[in-house]
Amino acid sequence: MDLIVQEGVKRDISIIKLEPGAIQAIKTFLADKGIHQPIRIDTNFSGCCDASLCLRVDNTLDTDLTIELEGITFVINPDTYQLVGEVTISYVDEEGRKGFVLKSSKPIGEWDGFGVSDIKI
Amino acid sequence: MEQYKLFINGEFVDAADGKTFETIDPGTEAPIATVAQAGKADAERAIAAARKAFDKGDWSGLTPSARIAKIQDFADQVAQQGLRLAATECMESGRTISYARYAPLLTIGLLRNLCLLAATKFPWEEEIPVSGNVFAPGREFIRREPIGVCVGIIPWNLPLEIAFWKIAPALIMGNTIVLKPASYTPLTALIAAEAAKAAGIPNGVINVIPGPGGELGKTLCTHPDVDKIAFTGSTEVGREIMRLASNTVKKVTLELGGKSANIILDDADMELAVEGAVFGTFLHQGQLCESGTRVLVSSKIYDEFLDKMKKRAESLRIGYQMDPTSHMGPLISKQQLATVEGYVKLGKEEGAELITGGKRVEVSGINGGFYYAPTIFANVNNKMRIAQEEIFGPVACVIKFDSDEEAVAIANDSIYGLGGGVFSTNTARAERMARGVRTGTMWINNYHVLADFCPFGGYKQSGVGREFGLAGLHEYTQVKRIHVVAIADHKTNMSFQLMSDYKKIDGFSYNCPTTVIAGHGALSAIYKAIADLGCRRALILTDPGVRKAGLAQLVKDALVDFCVGIYDNIPSDPDLETVDAATTVARELEADCIVSVGGGSVIDTAKGVCVTLKNGGKANDHLNMLVLTEPQTPHIAIPTTAGTGSEVTNVAVLTSKSAGRKLFIVDTKIMPNVAILDPRFTMSLPKDMTVSTAMDAMTHAIEAMTSTMANPICDGMALQAIRLINENLPLVVADGKNEKARLNLQLAATMAGWAFTIAQVGLAHGMAHTVGTLHHVPHGAACGIVLPKVMRYNADHANDKLAQVAQVMGVNIHGMTERDAALAAADAVEDLMKKVGHPMRLRDVGVTEENLAICAFHAIADTAVLFNGRPVSDPNEVLQIYTQCY
Repeated sequence: MDLIVQEGVKRDISIIKLEPGAIQAIKTFLADKGIHQPIRIDTNFSGCCDASLCLRVDNTLDTDLTIELEGITFVINPDTYQLVGEVTISYVDEEGRKGFVLKSSKPIGEWDGFGVSDIKI
Repeated sequence: MEQYKLFINGEFVDAADGKTFETIDPGTEAPIATVAQAGKADAERAIAAARKAFDKGDWSGLTPSARIAKIQDFADQVAQQGLRLAATECMESGRTISYARYAPLLTIGLLRNLCLLAATKFPWEEEIPVSGNVFAPGREFIRREPIGVCVGIIPWNLPLEIAFWKIAPALIMGNTIVLKPASYTPLTALIAAEAAKAAGIPNGVINVIPGPGGELGKTLCTHPDVDKIAFTGSTEVGREIMRLASNTVKKVTLELGGKSANIILDDADMELAVEGAVFGTFLHQGQLCESGTRVLVSSKIYDEFLDKMKKRAESLRIGYQMDPTSHMGPLISKQQLATVEGYVKLGKEEGAELITGGKRVEVSGINGGFYYAPTIFANVNNKMRIAQEEIFGPVACVIKFDSDEEAVAIANDSIYGLGGGVFSTNTARAERMARGVRTGTMWINNYHVLADFCPFGGYKQSGVGREFGLAGLHEYTQVKRIHVVAIADHKTNMSFQLMSDYKKIDGFSYNCPTTVIAGHGALSAIYKAIADLGCRRALILTDPGVRKAGLAQLVKDALVDFCVGIYDNIPSDPDLETVDAATTVARELEADCIVSVGGGSVIDTAKGVCVTLKNGGKANDHLNMLVLTEPQTPHIAIPTTAGTGSEVTNVAVLTSKSAGRKLFIVDTKIMPNVAILDPRFTMSLPKDMTVSTAMDAMTHAIEAMTSTMANPICDGMALQAIRLINENLPLVVADGKNEKARLNLQLAATMAGWAFTIAQVGLAHGMAHTVGTLHHVPHGAACGIVLPKVMRYNADHANDKLAQVAQVMGVNIHGMTERDAALAAADAVEDLMKKVGHPMRLRDVGVTEENLAICAFHAIADTAVLFNGRPVSDPNEVLQIYTQCY
């Protein structure tokens, strides 16, 4: 997968991997909300001890790494990318469990990929 | 480098797949130890060991006091490992040694304190003296029993102590545990396992399996042999654990994130508040869930406070955690460091003012480590992400407020509710603030203080359940109710009879403790009676008529100095307000005894007063059945009629205006202590009232014999009452001054009261209640009119009893069939009524024919009808009886 750096330098590194169903779920989410902004791959704390990955509707910053997939723009801060590596996004819709599951090639915590999350606005 | 293994079923073992991982010192980034990494197979092995150990019962089956000895041995072994534990805790978690050195001491204290609490104060078994189900008497108690196999999942910030927050209550309460320490900090839990093994904790009771939560979590949270999960960690993971656990309905306790508010009021001791804010935010580099990372400061002192807090934060020494002079050590990992940096960057982007910190720190002489400066953001808006999300690092968000109310509102504007503080020199004001914040713990002029006997846990998304104290111990037990039926006989079980054609209740409990003092001049006995009750301040309750007749004054004189007043504002058919008004007077006069002088209305009011006086509140609070567990305010009853029997019964009938009907207090504890039957008190009763009240007593007696609850003791009382009424009522009607006959009617009413208070009444009472309520027919007159017809209705279901009634009423039943004798009893009652001039028809007492049908519908719903000897379920049958009576 190609990564397009803002400055226009093209490098062959992967920042994101989408499992089947994930892109459609993101499209549906954005369409339902009438949002036309990029999706940021970010880290956050959801409480005691464990940081986790999350998806967030955001604007693109000059320093961001960006990639467009099927019409959706994904952005990630280079420092965050340095920290977590390639992020795999999947979407689950099971009884009592619905949302995005994010895993990274360099897990930021031992619970990487355990929980599910929504896209934060 | 040291090597650590998994601890499963009492043995230290390698992971099934041989995997290992390294732990590192966050202060140097140097590896500390190699640790076996548990996988799914190891988790299953550990769960199986814990299950087997629990089911075997050699831990769960011990008595609490027997478990104490083992826990104390465990605590001793932890003490022996104290130095190693403190050093390891410090090295692997980055906790400064000056802080970590307390960890073993606190852990030992927790073990010892909780096991003593469990053995001495925990309600393992608890009697329920009142079950709340009046139809199923018996002993009710609860046992608290261990839940089973617990999984403890702990974080990396305080790995030793939080491990024991799970291990201690789980084991002390008789459970077994599988502990999964955080992958950053697995060592102290494994050292704890060594201590457990050395202490002789049985194999399988404790199991420790370090490994990645993402891989082990699903197995631990879904395995059918796991009964409970106790987790400390993030809200996102906690939410998923709760979801996974729900599939097999496991018990869950969660201690999750926080974004606690530390409120600095304008009257706070400035130096104390600054220290409190610095300590509350920066202890352990801010990596504590309850940290007060939102510092809410009054606008009146904002600038001064901020300046001082900045200076104090900048004075903190950041250094290697093993250096005893360090105030702050490293963060746990490079990921943690990067995430904190990300939030600081975000704070600046959001417009908060960074006044100090916001940068990594290099520690002299160390190459590496994850050190970060204590950071303060000023002018933070509570809506900013840095104020809403837990950063879990040394970052304070200072927020200005203008009023106490605003401070509470800001504090509550969070998805979390774990901790919080208030600094003020006005404790009352601080406590008002503390009450307003929706959070699990509030400290006043202090912070971060946890304690073994004090519960800790979160409101809102900060968690479920509590740790520490009795509340924490309860989380590791489940409640079993045990009901032991009072009389083990299927013909006494009212519930079973719902599916049986046998409706009689054979077994019974007879408890009528009222002392009866009877005879001419019996009133004088009240002086000794009140002294025997230990009372000195009797309030006489009566009605205006009785008072006017001089009877209340007689009683007052008999009480000599033991009477504090006479209250006579009691009407017929008293309501709850009547009781409340009389209770108010009793409270004002500090009465310690109630003496009722009157008929059923007065005595029933007095019963209500005694209950309300004893238990507080209003009469409406006490309209219950069989819920009283203690003796009530002493009550001496002096009846001035001979009918209700209220002087010895367990019921008070009181009108509720809001309910629009008569309601009851029914309880053995409201039976008067003493009943004084002095015939002088009924001598002036008019003839019609004498007759109707006597027929009330007659109805009590006959229905007590024919009810489903009838029993031989009550039958004996009832038969004697019937005989006395039959013989003496005509004498009193002929000569109202016949004192002996008057006394016999009093005794009859009392005995009939004893009979029906145990055996209940039946359809005649249900019908009489109805015409009394709808047509204001005097109760005794209504009872008399319907009684013979109901006796005939009941005949085939109570021939034997009614035949005995016939006999005591003087009917020669020789040669009669039992049924004919029963019917003759009804005839005898009618003959008596005619002889004494009792009204014979409902039309004679103001009932209209067109209302009979509605009366039938009301009557069938009356509680008394439930106990009628012949089951009553058809309103048409009741209408037929009403029609016969009409």
